[in-house]
Amino acid sequence: MSGERYLEPEVETMPRERIRAAQQERVLALVDHAYRRSAFYRDLWDAHGVHPRDIRDLADFTERIPFVDKVMLRDYRARTGDPFAGLLCVPATDLVSVTSSSGTTGDPELFAEVWESSPPLVTHQLRDLWELGLRPGDRVLTPPMTFRNLMDYGYQSLGAVVVNVDCWFGKMADVLEVVREHRPAYLQFMYPQLVELEHLARHHDLREIFSSLKGAGCAGQPISRRMRAQVADEWGIRLFEYTSAADTGTAWECRENDGFHLWEDTVFPECVDVTSGAAVPEGELGELVATDLDNPTAPLIRYRSGDLVRYSGARCGCGRTHGRMWVAGRRGDETVVGGRSVALRDVWQAVEDQPETAGGVFQVVRAQREVDELRVRVGYDPELTVDSADLAGRLAKAIEERTGVVPALELSTEAEIMSTSRSVAKLARVVAS
Amino acid sequence: MGRAETLARAATLDRPAVAYLHRFPGAGGWHEYALTWDQLDRTTTWVASRLAALGLERGHRAVLTFSGYEGPWAHPVMDAVRRLGVVYGTAEPAGWDHGRVRVLQRQLAVTGLVGLSLETVEALAEHAPPGELFATTPVLLVRPEAVGPLRSAGVDAGTLAFVGPALGIECRERAGVHVDGASWRLDDDGGRPVIGGAAGGPALAPATLALDGAVVTGPCACGSTDPRLVLR
Repeated sequence: MSGERYLEPEVETMPRERIRAAQQERVLALVDHAYRRSAFYRDLWDAHGVHPRDIRDLADFTERIPFVDKVMLRDYRARTGDPFAGLLCVPATDLVSVTSSSGTTGDPELFAEVWESSPPLVTHQLRDLWELGLRPGDRVLTPPMTFRNLMDYGYQSLGAVVVNVDCWFGKMADVLEVVREHRPAYLQFMYPQLVELEHLARHHDLREIFSSLKGAGCAGQPISRRMRAQVADEWGIRLFEYTSAADTGTAWECRENDGFHLWEDTVFPECVDVTSGAAVPEGELGELVATDLDNPTAPLIRYRSGDLVRYSGARCGCGRTHGRMWVAGRRGDETVVGGRSVALRDVWQAVEDQPETAGGVFQVVRAQREVDELRVRVGYDPELTVDSADLAGRLAKAIEERTGVVPALELSTEAEIMSTSRSVAKLARVVAS
Repeated sequence: MGRAETLARAATLDRPAVAYLHRFPGAGGWHEYALTWDQLDRTTTWVASRLAALGLERGHRAVLTFSGYEGPWAHPVMDAVRRLGVVYGTAEPAGWDHGRVRVLQRQLAVTGLVGLSLETVEALAEHAPPGELFATTPVLLVRPEAVGPLRSAGVDAGTLAFVGPALGIECRERAGVHVDGASWRLDDDGGRPVIGGAAGGPALAPATLALDGAVVTGPCACGSTDPRLVLR
C-alpha cells in the first residue's frame, strides 16, 4: 500500500453525528426538490397525504414518506409511457447518458445521468479504488462491460492508465498474457471469469501472473467462501467484493473485508422489517431501503431494494465511520419445500463441496416459492467429471444433509447453464420452471 | 461531500499524459501505442464533426454499443456525442444484449444507433424485419460485418469500423470509411492497408491492418479530404 489510506480523509472518517446532520440537511432539500420536479413523487406523496412542509427532520422523513419499489416504478412507466418512471427532476434534454441495470429479472431499469468528467457509478467508487491501493500512474485493465457506462473515466480520473483487453468470458487465457506483459495494479472480475480462471489454474501459475495486482474488484453476485479462499490463498489476489447500494451507487469492502461500506454522504440507508416496514435494530436482518442523497437528476427516495442485509454504523477497523452492511440474500430467494425453508446458501455450500461442481454453478428451478419438490440444476466441469451418476448421488446426499430435503437434480455442464443466463454479470440462482 | 467533491479531490492528483495503452489487432498480431489525452481530444473533435455531418445534433438521443475493452475507440465517441449535446445510452455489441438495445431504442426514441454488431442485428431481426426495426433511426452506423446483411434487407446502414487504432466512419456517400487524416496516415502495401501516425499524430510505426480493403486518398464527394478505406 502506497501513500495515504483515505482519498478524502475528512469525509471518510467524519464523526457519525456530522454524517447524520449532513444527511438530514440533504434529505430535507431532496424532499422539496423531488416534490417540485418529479411527477412520480408528487403523485405518490399527494396520494399519501404528505407534503414537504411536513418533513422537518429524519424522523419525519422515515415516518411519513412512503416506500418505493421496483414494481411501483414499472407500473408508473407502463401507465404513463415515461421511460424514467416519473423520477426525472431535470429536463430530459439535460441528460448526458442513460445507463441500465443488468436486466437479470426483466427489462433493464434505466438510470438517467448528468455528469461532466466521470459518470456517477464509477465516480462513486473512487474512494474504494483508492482504499484498494490504486494510485496515479498505475495500470488498470478494462472491465468486460459498459452497461453502467464506460468505467475508464473513473480510473483515469484517479490518474490510472487503462490497458484495453477483451476480458470477456472465454478470453481469460489472453488476459493472463496481457497481465504478464503490462503488470496492472487493478482489474475487475465477475463470477464466470473466476470459474474460467479456476480451469486455467491447472496450467498456469496464477500467483506469479497476478503478482502485480494491488487488488481486484468483484461484483455481480456473491463469491462463495471456497472460491474466495482459493482466489486469496492459491492465486494470491486480494479480492474486494462490492455490491449495489440499492441502485444508488455501490458498496465496497475495504481491506478489513468486514462488510460493505455505504458512503453515507451519497446515500441514506435504512434497514427495515420486510413485513412491517419498521426499522430493525442495528445488526439485525432487514431489507435495505435507500435514499439517494447525491442524485438530483432522478433520485430514489426510500427505495426498497429487496436485499436482505444487516447494517451497522459502528466505526470500521479501517477507521471509516460510514455504515457497513452484510448481505444475506434477496427477499424471496428462499424456497419452501413441503413446509421446510431451504436457503440458497445451503444448496450452494453442498454444490461447491463436490470437486466436479466446485465452481458453484447452480440454479433452483421452481414455479413458485412454495413447492413440493426441490429441483436443482447443477453445472459440472466436464474435464473433472468421470462418473456423473456418482456425482449426482454425492450431490443429492450433500444437499439433503444441509437442507433436510432430498433434491431432484438436473446435471448439465457449467457452460450450458451459464449460456442460459439473461445477464452475463449474474447467474440467476432462482429460475422459473 | 458527494461525488463532485470526490472528483475535485481526484483532480488534484498527478495525471499522466497517457490515457490508454491502446492495443489493437494487426495482420501480424497485436500492436500497441500510448494514446495521449491530447490525441483523445483530437479524435473527439473529429468524431463530433463526422457525427454532426450525419445529422446528430443537440436534443437527439443515441445508443452506443461498445464493449468494455473498446474504450480507446468508445471514449472519443462518447465524448463527441456529449459535445454535440446528444444523450447517449449504452449497450453491449453482443447478441445476448440485444434486448437492452431494443429497450433503449423503444423508450428513448433514438435518432442514432452506433456500433451495432452483426450478432445484435441478427438477434433484433428475430423480433421484426430490419426495415421496420430501423425505419425511424436516421443515423445508423454498424460494424462492417453487419453492413451487407442490412443493405441486402434494404436498410441504408453506414459503417463504423475499427481501422486498427483509428475509428473509421462512413459518410452518406457510402464510399468507404473516413479516417482522421490529421492523426493517421493510411497507405497501401501490396494490396494490404497499412496505418501509421500522421505528422503530429500518435507515435505509431506503420502497422499492417487485419482488414481487407482498398485505401483511397482523393477527396470524397462529401467534401472531406480524409483518407478512406473501402472495405471488401
